[in-house]
Amino acid sequence: MNIFEPLDKDSAIFELAQQRNLIFYHKGYFSHNIVAAMSEVVKLQLEIAGVSASTRRKLFSSFIELSQNIVHYSSDLLVDGGDKGGALREGAVCITNEGERHLMMCVNPIATAAVNDLREKLEPLRNMSLDEIKQQYKISLRAETPPESKGAGLGFLTMARDASAPLEFAFYPRAEDPETTLFCLKTII
Amino acid sequence: MDNLHIAATATSPEIDFQFDRNLLSLKGESYPENAAAFYTPVIERLRAYLASCADAVITVDVSLTYFNSSSTKMLFSIFDALEHATSSGNSVLVNWYRDDEDETILEFGEELQIDFTGIKFNDCPIVG
Repeated sequence: MNIFEPLDKDSAIFELAQQRNLIFYHKGYFSHNIVAAMSEVVKLQLEIAGVSASTRRKLFSSFIELSQNIVHYSSDLLVDGGDKGGALREGAVCITNEGERHLMMCVNPIATAAVNDLREKLEPLRNMSLDEIKQQYKISLRAETPPESKGAGLGFLTMARDASAPLEFAFYPRAEDPETTLFCLKTII
Repeated sequence: MDNLHIAATATSPEIDFQFDRNLLSLKGESYPENAAAFYTPVIERLRAYLASCADAVITVDVSLTYFNSSSTKMLFSIFDALEHATSSGNSVLVNWYRDDEDETILEFGEELQIDFTGIKFNDCPIVG
């Protein structure tokens, strides 16, 4: 008797993970401590997968920007954190490998009211060359931090700079909860 | 003025500001939960120290292997404070340690040199 038999149906997820060369996946709550622990996992996985140091740095940088976005901005929150920190918010992040390229995706709910603002931040980056992205990065580096931003408004520019193709994003309205929209962001490195 | 020492964590660098020796150091990785909350008190102490300096020779060792976007912004403020100190007769030398293949940190160092011309900037690539 094949001892794996009873698991066949349920093991489909592992097969899919293998087919897609899944390097890392987490869906659930994100806090700063969880991000720190995941960072350790991601670093190790990329290193043992033999990814070059330069690509590892870019993947790690994008991973941190994406994950910290979820900690700070996902609309699905258990703990707000406020000024003291300790926020706990929901989302998902996934890293896969496709030949020479690495794909990193994140999904998290945001307030539907914030969709246009986010779209206006991301859309222009798609049409910029790498040089233009670097120029914009330099300008933002010296600009005042936008008041609603916990970061420097530099996060998406940092990701765009490290990507080898324009950032892709999409918004999926949630029928069951029109106040929130699923935000999906994908970067190729 | 008391020296300032903050031990490194997995996500924040070691801050070792030996004001009595005019020797300042930042070392490690920087992606704290809230970069402003981490760096604001550090920058306040730095500014207070710099305000008390006259004709001092200040050495700053920066060996950060990674910093996230919000830390990047705070580093810019640290350099801004150091630059100010050079206009009151102090000399500031920054040793900028980085992996020799890390282009992001190299390019950020170049940006710092463009804006903060009063600081002597010593690029220190380390062969990994």
